[in-house]
Amino acid sequence: MISELFVLIYAIIIIGFVAWNIKKGSFVIEPSKLIIIIIILSIITTFILSYKIDIYITIRSIAKILAGGIMFAGVLPMISAGIGLFRFGDEYGPNIFYVRNHITGVIDTTASLVMIFAGLLIFRLDLVAVGFFFFILIPFVGNALANAYYYSYQRRLRE
Amino acid sequence: MIDALILEEIADLTFFFGAFIFMIATAFAGLGALRLALKGEAVTSLMGVSALTTAAGVSLYIIQIIFEVEFARDTAIALLILGSVGTIIFARLFRMEEGE
Repeated sequence: MISELFVLIYAIIIIGFVAWNIKKGSFVIEPSKLIIIIIILSIITTFILSYKIDIYITIRSIAKILAGGIMFAGVLPMISAGIGLFRFGDEYGPNIFYVRNHITGVIDTTASLVMIFAGLLIFRLDLVAVGFFFFILIPFVGNALANAYYYSYQRRLRE
Repeated sequence: MIDALILEEIADLTFFFGAFIFMIATAFAGLGALRLALKGEAVTSLMGVSALTTAAGVSLYIIQIIFEVEFARDTAIALLILGSVGTIIFARLFRMEEGE
């Protein structure tokens, strides 16, 4: 019962924080400061809990809880991207392609960042490696797609 | 107060539900990408297929982590890497004019 309640409150807090930041358009707490605060809080919690519990179990458990939090944080961008892909149809003209390109970029970036940070926290370096390689490839994919669309559209205009 | 068993249970349950809800959200984004892939012109379809491979790859990787299905990891790596590289190659092909 305690664990289910914890998961519910944790998910609501994290998804609410992400939704609040998306609504305001910028991070209220800077991400760099937020990461430092989270690391300090995790270390303090680890020290408090390690008086009664084995330190290895404590570190592993808190890292796993943080990895779950990162996955909760990735939920809202993914759903927003899905809604955006359904929402923007062909009736907006030919330049809607670039909007869709941006939305697919959001999907790719969220997926790769979740893979990298969750992999770091659950000690799965294969996940980190694949996520990092994918993170490097994302801008090239977006650029190649936009370039291809631009030149094919110019060619169609000439014809 | 709190002991090791409860802490491990909380951690496992948080990670499981986080991964599961993230997988559902990825599947929803994948549905949008599928719609993009099935309508529109060639470059738009290519973009939709690229996003769909991403969604499928990440979902398969999460399946491997939370359900420990070992072969899903190989499929996920192949989808993520070959999907991106194939998109770049096909975009180059679409960009080229005839005779270039």
